[in-house]
Amino acid sequence: MCALKIDLLFGGGAELLFDKIKKRQVELPPLNKYFSDAKKTEWTIREFIVWIKDNLLREREELFIQGDSVRPGILVLVNDSDWELCGELDYQLQNNDCIMFISTLHGG
Amino acid sequence: MDPNDEIAELEYEIALLRKKLHEKESKLIQLKGQCQVALDFFVDVEEPSTSGSSVSSSSQPQEVVRKVVKLPSWAITRYSRQIILPEIGVSGQAKLCVSKVLVVGVGGLGCPAAMYLAGAGVGQIGLVDYDTVDLTNLHRQVLHLERDQDISKVESAADKLRSINSNIKVVTYNVQLNSKNAEEIANGYHLVLDCTDNIPSRYLLNDLCVFLKIPLISGSALKMDGQLSIYGYKAPLTRDSTYQYRGPCYRCVFPKPPPPETIGSCSAQGVAGPVPGIIGTLQALEAIKYLTDISNEKLLVGRLLIFDGEDMTVRITSLRPRNSKCAVCSKKPTIRALGDYEAFCKTSAREQELELDILPEKRRITATYLNRMLTDNLSKNGPPIVIDVRSEGEFRMCRIEGSLSSPKEKFGQVQMEKVSKLLKSRNNEIVFICRRGNDSQIVVRQLLDGVDRMYHDRLYDVIGGLHQWAKQVDPDFPIY
Ligand SMILES: [Zn+2]
Repeated sequence: MCALKIDLLFGGGAELLFDKIKKRQVELPPLNKYFSDAKKTEWTIREFIVWIKDNLLREREELFIQGDSVRPGILVLVNDSDWELCGELDYQLQNNDCIMFISTLHGG
Repeated sequence: MDPNDEIAELEYEIALLRKKLHEKESKLIQLKGQCQVALDFFVDVEEPSTSGSSVSSSSQPQEVVRKVVKLPSWAITRYSRQIILPEIGVSGQAKLCVSKVLVVGVGGLGCPAAMYLAGAGVGQIGLVDYDTVDLTNLHRQVLHLERDQDISKVESAADKLRSINSNIKVVTYNVQLNSKNAEEIANGYHLVLDCTDNIPSRYLLNDLCVFLKIPLISGSALKMDGQLSIYGYKAPLTRDSTYQYRGPCYRCVFPKPPPPETIGSCSAQGVAGPVPGIIGTLQALEAIKYLTDISNEKLLVGRLLIFDGEDMTVRITSLRPRNSKCAVCSKKPTIRALGDYEAFCKTSAREQELELDILPEKRRITATYLNRMLTDNLSKNGPPIVIDVRSEGEFRMCRIEGSLSSPKEKFGQVQMEKVSKLLKSRNNEIVFICRRGNDSQIVVRQLLDGVDRMYHDRLYDVIGGLHQWAKQVDPDFPIY
């Protein structure tokens, strides 16, 4: 299986935790190449969040992560749809998916 | 004559004339109100039936029933440019004229939203805000003018709305909306616009609207970003369908509030004026569409609009459907009454002016003393190193000359080590400063917990931060 290409987007201020970069394309190796104890090759968002933490998140991970998911107030969008519509953490990433992490705003 | 004196004299005369004008206008509004209450400009065509048997009442979207009225000719002329639209038409305008909309928050979002609602002829606009107009509001809160500084936002806004449209009723509520007064204030309104600037108010308004069975058009803006959606929408029941579409409420999508340390505010992080302008304007547009009974597929229901003014992108994303186990809008809600939203969100609904006090007294100095340290050579080790822990943007905007920048937001292990090195390699005192004297204490606290005890008596925090610097030392230093 070849590398998985994912468009990774951050918005609403979440980009501040990721070098202020709002849009990037990332390539993911087969899952068992990245996590040696993984028994499968396909990625779900659950593992993708760990990958993001390992590779992109600089510090203060509590501003992004809570438990094995994202913190409350960050909405995850899979191809412009709320991730709850497609399985949340268990959604299996597809080539060329666009995954967006958007921080909700409260100012006015 | 000295031009400065002339300016002062003119300003004084204008202020007097304005006061007189305002008194006369208020009198006029009062007299007009006695003759005819705005909503009663319109003649009833038929009384709304409560049995649900008449065509008109079954097409009413909400349980707060609107009257059916015949538009007088002045109204057709006045609103002709929108009546011409097939989406609105005469019947849509008639609905607008008897609708009541509550705008909560008369700031960057509420001002443009209320302006367009007034222009469109919405029969009654309620304005809720406890705050007064401040000079720093004027770049985005377009209903407030220079002369309105320090007067209540709702009065300032109501004044302008009445000038835009004297045929509508504007009701002001100069209070902080809370769980005790919310139901009484919102009672009778057909729709609420969430134009607030804080998270407890957003949950409060959501629950309130669910209880009152009216939708909530929720806008928000910060920096260059804006977001918008309609929560708690219920489609009108038609006679021949038993299915009634209902959109998610705010809690369906955001069951848990974000951690307080992740919440930004316009005063701390800034906002570009047109961003809330755009979102507030779209709130008004969705309100007009909703009030004229446009179907839910065309409304921002179950969808979230995400505006990025920096990249100039707009995304419309699909939100999850209503949660059948939602704490407030499900069939078996666990929340049945308005509660303590500040406790739920662990944050205040008012602009925070907390005064931390987490350092030993010896570690805290006044701005006056910092100035003496900088100018009077108090220490044999030379002047202190001043480290400003505000954001980069704030530091660029104004700073004490010679101070260094190290934002608190990024103050982690790396910065701790830098300060440690500085303490080891030099003998100067290190003074931390921020805008109001809270963040600087947090940083010094972190350092006291992290660096060797022998260095503790060289670390200081400035009480009251740059606000006190402006008061005590440099009157030209901008307070913001
Ligand atoms: Zn709900």
